[in-house]
Amino acid sequence: MKRKPLLTAALSALLALLPALASAADAVREVRISTISYATGGKTSYSGVSGLIAQQGDLEKALAKRGVKLTWVPVSTAAVGPQINEAFANRRIDFAGYGDLPSVIANASGIRTKLLVPGGTSTTYLVVPANSTARSITDLKGKRIALHRGRPWEFPFLQLAQANRLGQNDFKLVNLNPQAGAAALSSGSVDAFFTLSDAWLLVDKGVGKIIWNSKQSPESWQMRAELWGASEFVAANPAISQLVVDAYVKAAHWASLEQNRDAYLRLQSASGLPESVLRRDYDGDATAWKQRASPLFTDALAAHYRDVARYAKGAKLTGSDVDMPATFEPRFVDAALKSLGLTQFWTDTKVARQ
Amino acid sequence: MNKPNGFVAVQTISLPWPVRWPAWRSILPWSSLTVPALLLLVWSALSASGWISPQLLPSPLTVADAGIALWQDGELQGHLGVSLSRLAVGFGIGALGGLAFGAALAVSRNVEDYAGGLFHLFRHIPTIALIPPFILAFGVGETFKILIVVKGVFFPVAIAAHDAVRNIPRGYFEVARLYKLSRPAVIRHLLLPATLPSILTGLRIGLDRSWMLLVVAEQIAAENGIGQMMEMARQIFRIDIVMLGVVLTGVIGFALDRSVRQLETLTTRWKR
Repeated sequence: MKRKPLLTAALSALLALLPALASAADAVREVRISTISYATGGKTSYSGVSGLIAQQGDLEKALAKRGVKLTWVPVSTAAVGPQINEAFANRRIDFAGYGDLPSVIANASGIRTKLLVPGGTSTTYLVVPANSTARSITDLKGKRIALHRGRPWEFPFLQLAQANRLGQNDFKLVNLNPQAGAAALSSGSVDAFFTLSDAWLLVDKGVGKIIWNSKQSPESWQMRAELWGASEFVAANPAISQLVVDAYVKAAHWASLEQNRDAYLRLQSASGLPESVLRRDYDGDATAWKQRASPLFTDALAAHYRDVARYAKGAKLTGSDVDMPATFEPRFVDAALKSLGLTQFWTDTKVARQ
Repeated sequence: MNKPNGFVAVQTISLPWPVRWPAWRSILPWSSLTVPALLLLVWSALSASGWISPQLLPSPLTVADAGIALWQDGELQGHLGVSLSRLAVGFGIGALGGLAFGAALAVSRNVEDYAGGLFHLFRHIPTIALIPPFILAFGVGETFKILIVVKGVFFPVAIAAHDAVRNIPRGYFEVARLYKLSRPAVIRHLLLPATLPSILTGLRIGLDRSWMLLVVAEQIAAENGIGQMMEMARQIFRIDIVMLGVVLTGVIGFALDRSVRQLETLTTRWKR
């Protein structure tokens, strides 16, 4: 056989490197957390409590003490779920703060993640053009509704429809990302748009009016976002995972204090949504401010994830059943609440929500 | 009426219809299949090796299975049918419009003066950049997607037609005048044969470009179509369907390109 010295050399070099690569994987040098990011004024900021953690810098210091670097992996709002799921699949991130439906999709397709810190709910909105005569979702039967499919707010939309004895086939759903959805509503080429707090921007511009929001809806309807960890990473690095969870629980506590409400809203306004929008988004919510960021694992949370998984299967968003409560990993939050002295701070939402 | 019998070019440059379609092997020789086959082997090996998560790189067989399942559901035919009909309508409008405008631009001083500047300005705007304003102006319905295709085809065809007409040596027209050729005869025997090769090239470029643009536009805003199938599959993490879309987009693009190339070869046979 003809010898190929270059190929042989390259292969043996690769083989020699393999043990080194494997041992490098053992000692974690870097923790990568992915979440929605915004670039405003040349600065990158992150959404929700992740933004708070990034700004306060405590987690970065705590990790640095162990020689571990903290890296934020930004994803854009247009495609959060796919970007994070793809990153989990090729092990490019260890933790991610993102929505419920994409996490169900991930676990149903064999990506193993653990729910580490329940994060909270977001209000969803049904917007129609300013001159529309539609007053409720029932008036939109047979009409074109812009909805970004596979996103966490798809489930609340279908809950709303079902409560009004309507189903997915009663509408012409146009799959549009939020930016395109807003443009479509402005141009009148859709009859309604189901989205998040960006609905207020359309109201402020005078092109849309909100005919429904989820503020007073049952808790099980609300879309949620939480902190998820890659199962493998969490199992292999419990101490580092605990540091991360501690930081998220601490930040959730800070944000939950009434006296920090204004400061938190100011921080969130770096997302590009003006503070006035954020205020209107939070005002009049059935969930108390303090409870919004509750990191407790409740029965309602388990029921919500079972419902979302059942919906995803029924809507053919997932091909197989997935036991979502089995992905819950409450031990880190329990330990964090104890070490931070917060065991009495939050209460089960069933009690808090009147 | 003068019959242009003495006009030598007339006899030879007529279109060679009816024509025999060339053998399959000349369109797609075995040698051209070697690299795709190798690529398929590497893909299979990579996905079997476990280096890349199977969710991110499904094997070619998984992709084929997804394709069969979608075909049996009738979903795949639906998406393909919608995309191809959008392409056909947009291409028809864009090609005819481009042809007419390009020719007018070449022969008419007025058209050049009034519309030339705007034409050259518009042709430099990337079509992708036009997607958001198009959505605002025309909504997310069929109009916007068809206009994206029209824009993709119109400009290359118009430029090709313009250049082709401009490049006809003036002497040809003088000869035609000497022989007192009628206007239809000038078009049939001079204009068409002289410009056809470059126009076909323009059509081919336009077709390639607009097919890609259509898939992108469908990914951004559509209820159906091959691009939408890929976008939805990505949201629900079905990379096998995304890959199916990628392969189909490529194969269809390739087939369209080859068909026009074949047409180019057939209609310019007189050159050889």
